[in-house]
Amino acid sequence: MKYNLELIKNKRKIISFSTFLILLSLLGILYSTFNTSYKKPINLGMDFVGGNELRIERVCEEECSNLSPDSVLENLREISSNKNFINNIKLQFQNKNKLISIRTPYLSIEESNNLITNLDNIIGPLNYESKDSRLIGPKLGKRLLTNCVTSLLVSLFAISLYITIRFDKKYALFALLALFHDLLIVFGIFSWLGIILSVEVNSLFAVSLLTIAGYSVNDTVVIFDRIRENLKSKEEGYNETIQLSVNESFRRTTFTSITTLIPLLSIILFGSYSLFWFSLALSLGIIVGSYSSILLAPSLLLKD
Amino acid sequence: MKRRQGWLFFIIFLLTLSVYLLINYPLQLGLDLQGGSQLTLQIIKEEGKVTRDELEAVNSVIDKRVNNLGVSESNLQTLGGDQLILELPGEQNPLVASRVLGKTALLEFRTQKEGTSTDLKTLQLQRLSIKELIEQYSFEDKNQNNDNFLKVIQDDLKDIEQELNYSSTSNYLYGKLIEIKKYVDKEITNLFIKTDLSGKDLINAGRRQEQTNSNWEVLLTFSNSGGEKFAEITKSIAGTNQLLAIILDGESISEASVGNQFASTGITGGSATISGNFSAENARELEVQLKGGSLPLPIEIVETNTIGALLGSKNILKSLYAAISGLIFVGIFMIFNYRILGFVSVLSLVLYGFFNLALYSLIPVTLTLPGISGLILSIGMAVDANILIFERIREELYDGNTLIRSIDSGFQRANSSIVDGHITTLLSCFVLFLLGTNFVKGFAATLGIGVLISLFTSLNCSKTILRFFTTYQSLRKKNLYLPKNNFSN
Repeated sequence: MKYNLELIKNKRKIISFSTFLILLSLLGILYSTFNTSYKKPINLGMDFVGGNELRIERVCEEECSNLSPDSVLENLREISSNKNFINNIKLQFQNKNKLISIRTPYLSIEESNNLITNLDNIIGPLNYESKDSRLIGPKLGKRLLTNCVTSLLVSLFAISLYITIRFDKKYALFALLALFHDLLIVFGIFSWLGIILSVEVNSLFAVSLLTIAGYSVNDTVVIFDRIRENLKSKEEGYNETIQLSVNESFRRTTFTSITTLIPLLSIILFGSYSLFWFSLALSLGIIVGSYSSILLAPSLLLKD
Repeated sequence: MKRRQGWLFFIIFLLTLSVYLLINYPLQLGLDLQGGSQLTLQIIKEEGKVTRDELEAVNSVIDKRVNNLGVSESNLQTLGGDQLILELPGEQNPLVASRVLGKTALLEFRTQKEGTSTDLKTLQLQRLSIKELIEQYSFEDKNQNNDNFLKVIQDDLKDIEQELNYSSTSNYLYGKLIEIKKYVDKEITNLFIKTDLSGKDLINAGRRQEQTNSNWEVLLTFSNSGGEKFAEITKSIAGTNQLLAIILDGESISEASVGNQFASTGITGGSATISGNFSAENARELEVQLKGGSLPLPIEIVETNTIGALLGSKNILKSLYAAISGLIFVGIFMIFNYRILGFVSVLSLVLYGFFNLALYSLIPVTLTLPGISGLILSIGMAVDANILIFERIREELYDGNTLIRSIDSGFQRANSSIVDGHITTLLSCFVLFLLGTNFVKGFAATLGIGVLISLFTSLNCSKTILRFFTTYQSLRKKNLYLPKNNFSN
């Protein structure tokens, strides 16, 4: 089974497609920055802005009774001493009314315990064994954000440095272009997800971007390695050798993506909810990364 | 050939060792897998960075307090130069820990300024009434929307504010009450003059129930020099109407007079009691704080995570499903595409899994949810190396080379790509580990370890197993390595 991707013919199409994706991502980022309630390029989650997130299950005999979040909030408002946070509370029922998930601004441990006791009075009994509570102070949130951005920048710099030493300038430049292309698109997708579905990003999103960076560069390096090797040994012209090299590594790149996507898919399907968006971001990154390694980066190398 | 046999024995030895390690040193599970609470404590310093010594000092005070609290199996570690992470496994309420740990516990002994008796008496009365208001407010059943009751509290509060000539700025009633109480406490403290006796002069603290009622009191034992200072101070105010105040974090917890009989020597014996209407719980908390000493820098609890035990075990189960189904499907995919080679990669993946887990228990790495996802993700990366090699082997076979030759040069030619790929991933892991939070570190650690181990399993183990297989004549047929329909190519 030989693959025959017509890279030379389709160079224009590939580059236009990528440009389109990048513009779409930039549009999402701009829209998110200026036209949303949070006014940020991406919808920052609790990790970065601080707050209190509580998930807890109700104990029900068979099916849990149907409750409207509004009436629960109304009850909470009546019995809570701190009116301040009650006004900014978000409450949802999930999993057939069994699971309650609540988001509030930052609370002290004491206030959070009060909230749970009050909830127990209104919709209890609650199963404390199933509790998942996270309190993050606003100061820590800011710090986490700086931390994540620094990590991203430092590691991008380290990868760039490594690539520049390892390859000559032209290869390095295009490998990095492909890398930023991948990161920008994944970022853009999550900007849009934030606008449309109010999906928030937390520190694991930054981790997924970093992992995608390593992965995407790895993919591109393998193909560039092959191109370099073939340019030395093969008789064909420059452009043809690049196309040949891409076709030779096509199986490897797609197979690797598939074997990485399979475990990620099983986390999405079977894993804990806290890893859902993380695995999705990684999966998207791997798909975009394979595309850019196979089609975009080598197309950029082609001579007109 | 001989050399490979040596490797085979070495691999079997490593596998046995891993199984032995896993049986004898069980894996450490993070709180998101076993349930429990995690508190992040931030050291607050107004100017400059927290130095190593300061971090150590705070760490040791917190450590003492945690131990004196009697929390079982707690774990305290420093993070990033100015944070501490305290883990409380199981169903232990983080509330008590947060109350005891968060306070600076700076203990001071102060003597009253002369001629302030009337001022102090008024303030003490105001303090009493504000305390009562707070209690009323907290215990009132707020289910019954008792507007009348709230109004009484508000009016009383206004009266006190007028007397104090101070108006609170908070927006809601509870906040106002707390604010006024703080103001009164500050005013009281201001009526007293600092002495050179402080919490540093203590060598021990204890508690006991008062004989006459159900209240508790806290006992202080001074060092030799502290005892002398205490005698000196009590001597100076004995028989006067000046009081001795014991002040904790700027709030006076006890004001007492010293009787005339101590005028010549002061109170000797090197000990004192604080009897400030403590409940058993409060007395215990104060005891723990005093025993641990005061914090050199104030701390703030900036993050609390609590995960129920049931949710933890559910998380383990879910991760297990994800990992196993991931492994199975990757295995099927590999065997389908690469036949015997695929089977070899499955075997080396199993080895990979064992080596990874064994290293976790050896280092030890605490397994958390992000950690597990790092491990699952690294399965994909470990297979990647095998795919690179197998593709090369296929090419060599297509070119008509013999099996053994193809295998050798396949491994050789894929080497540089594999090392490159692993280095870029390791770079990311390294940065994540250095700069990341605890949560992120788990992911970076397992992914990084995975990438390192996969260098060994995919380059060495796969090769050894493959070599072992090819010693059998029946396993040397080319069509076991290439799907038939492609072989005609």
